[in-house]
Amino acid sequence: MKRKMVSLLLAAAMVTGLLAGCSSSSASSTSSSETSESTEETADTTEAAEETSDLADYSGVTLTYWSMWTSTEPQAEVIQQAADAFSEQTGATINIEWKGRDISSVILSALESGEDIDLFEDSDSRISQNYADYCYDLTEMAEAADYASYSYACFTETITDWAGFLACIVEQPQVGGVWYNKDIFEACGIDVPTTWEEFMDACQTMVDNGYQPLALDSAYASFNFGYHLDRYLGEDAVSELSLNGGWSDSAGAIQAAQDIIDFVNAGYLADGAPDEYPSSQNKIGLTGQVAMVVCANYVTSEVDNNSGVDTNWGMFNYPSIDGGVDPSNAYAGANCIAISSYSENAQAAFDFIMFLTTGEYDQLMADTAEQIPADPNNTAPDKLSGTVEALLDTSDPLKWNMGLTDNSDLSTGIKENVVKLFEGQYATGEEFAAAMDALY
Amino acid sequence: MKKNKSMIVCFLLPCVLAILIVYLYPVLRTLLMSFFKIESVTSDISNWSFYGLGNYKRIFGSATFRTAMWNMFRIWLVGGIITLSIALLFAVILTSGIRFKKFFRAAIYLPNVISAVALATMWVQYVYNNDYGMLNKMLRSVGLEGVKWLGTDTKFWAMLAAFIFGAVGYYMLIFISGIERIPQDLYEAAIIDGAGIVQRFTRITMPLLKGIMKTNITFWTINSATFYLWSKMFSPVDTESSTIVPVVYLYELIFGGKSVSERDAGAGAAVGVTLAVIILLAYLVMNRVFKEDDLEF
Repeated sequence: MKRKMVSLLLAAAMVTGLLAGCSSSSASSTSSSETSESTEETADTTEAAEETSDLADYSGVTLTYWSMWTSTEPQAEVIQQAADAFSEQTGATINIEWKGRDISSVILSALESGEDIDLFEDSDSRISQNYADYCYDLTEMAEAADYASYSYACFTETITDWAGFLACIVEQPQVGGVWYNKDIFEACGIDVPTTWEEFMDACQTMVDNGYQPLALDSAYASFNFGYHLDRYLGEDAVSELSLNGGWSDSAGAIQAAQDIIDFVNAGYLADGAPDEYPSSQNKIGLTGQVAMVVCANYVTSEVDNNSGVDTNWGMFNYPSIDGGVDPSNAYAGANCIAISSYSENAQAAFDFIMFLTTGEYDQLMADTAEQIPADPNNTAPDKLSGTVEALLDTSDPLKWNMGLTDNSDLSTGIKENVVKLFEGQYATGEEFAAAMDALY
Repeated sequence: MKKNKSMIVCFLLPCVLAILIVYLYPVLRTLLMSFFKIESVTSDISNWSFYGLGNYKRIFGSATFRTAMWNMFRIWLVGGIITLSIALLFAVILTSGIRFKKFFRAAIYLPNVISAVALATMWVQYVYNNDYGMLNKMLRSVGLEGVKWLGTDTKFWAMLAAFIFGAVGYYMLIFISGIERIPQDLYEAAIIDGAGIVQRFTRITMPLLKGIMKTNITFWTINSATFYLWSKMFSPVDTESSTIVPVVYLYELIFGGKSVSERDAGAGAAVGVTLAVIILLAYLVMNRVFKEDDLEF
């Protein structure tokens, strides 16, 4: 009898497990039309939007939206609010599935198998280079909506170059540079440096005043050195070195490495740097003694959230090198929204993207998630002031690591050598260049 | 009897179908994929182009793959010797009749209950941290200088030590079950004959644990070949030479990495097939080295 009961219970558990496993994933998704809680919170914004709304009637249209955010993130909160408001004004239903960052592992398979997806999010490079075949060409709809007036040319051009057409719309722009604690600069009486010499002088002044100039986690070592190499050689030449070697023959690469060796030997790195992400960057907030970090803008939110301190952030472009190449460009990347090529409601989906990434909801996103607005007509949060202008000034944005890790077969070895460079394991730039050439 | 047969078929069919669809099909597809040039793992067969041994040439010619294989080998050999030795030592101690056996057994097994992500975070952020990490605090408290545990030269060993900490309990439990299976009269007879604790261990426990040792080494081999999470936790943003292992390399080939957008599912499949062959070879070698049929009890 006892055995029978155990068997019965086990069988019941198995059947329950099977049913749970086979149940529709939409159970975890949130239907915007069913969500009422957040609607109240945004009553004001919704009303305001209604006043100026010229959206079409999409009654009966259902959009499925695969998001790269998780439901608890501030970005998700704003997207949900925008979806609710859009539904209210147009009659469309937007089913949002919060996939998180793992979306990049599953989205291509989902698109290939024709999964019911109208909208999805991922980085600009992955969408434009890897999923372009499954993306709706947004060029005409963007022209009709005068998207050029609500976007940064650097992103639109890059996406069009990669995909051959406008494959996605920017939702969360990112810009790289030197992020610094304004209070430390003020305390030391330092002006924002524009050249490497001025940067080194500023570091010495900070050290003289008891501060530690630069935080660095090994995760961003290639980004930091990539910037420095770019200022000497330009991104294309850096990429060429990464792909084919010849570091010892490049005077610029050797000098760039020597600069870093001198920088490290002068004691300008924060204690323990290069550290393990995010230990070093956290010291900017935790100790108040570390002044700068070379990273993209999200470092400001990461540090503030991790340390619980609102650092008085500022940003300047990576310094120029005397005799180097054009120093005006900055790293610029973005998380974007695309429409699947087989979507039957592309116009409704596009209207929703514009509803979310321009005007009121974009401002709400910038303020809530503390990010750069996707619409340059909006205002960046105080801690990101200057970023909109930096993006508007960028004509040829740099890619992540500026080509330094373009060689996918050697990228880990390259990164290790770069971290060793910041660890002070090379005595000269020539020694570093020889170590790099030894990888090929 | 006829009714019984149909019942057997009814009960077996779901399992057989599940194995064929969920296991055999992906294995065969992966094997096939490794000989084709394929960009996306789910792309239609009509988009595949025959590549011969090109994928294998690519991965074995890649410095990153060779580094990953070297790291995996070090995890298997060094990690295996340390983990299984400590696990065996703990198992022998815990089966020797010490007090609080259940408590110690639970305490040593505890890391297996905790999520590996939490465990790895604890090691990276709280044990190895330069400033407030446990190890450096201990060193500084006795007047020594702190060590950069996660520097390029030490990161691999730091990761391996953390992994071993979490793995010992699992293998210890298997050893304990093996030791408890050995009849007590053998030990009693040995004690009467004057055998010491070392002799009992080397002459009775070890020979009768051959089968269990084979199981543990096979499990360890599979664990080493599928090592992934700890590598990702110790290099969270970009993959690093000191922590890369074949499965991470496979993942980046198929899905791309932070700075790598190129994808090659065919080469990824070749890595998968190579790992499967390694595990199979290890199993065959284990079967030859540890013959179970020479001792019966």
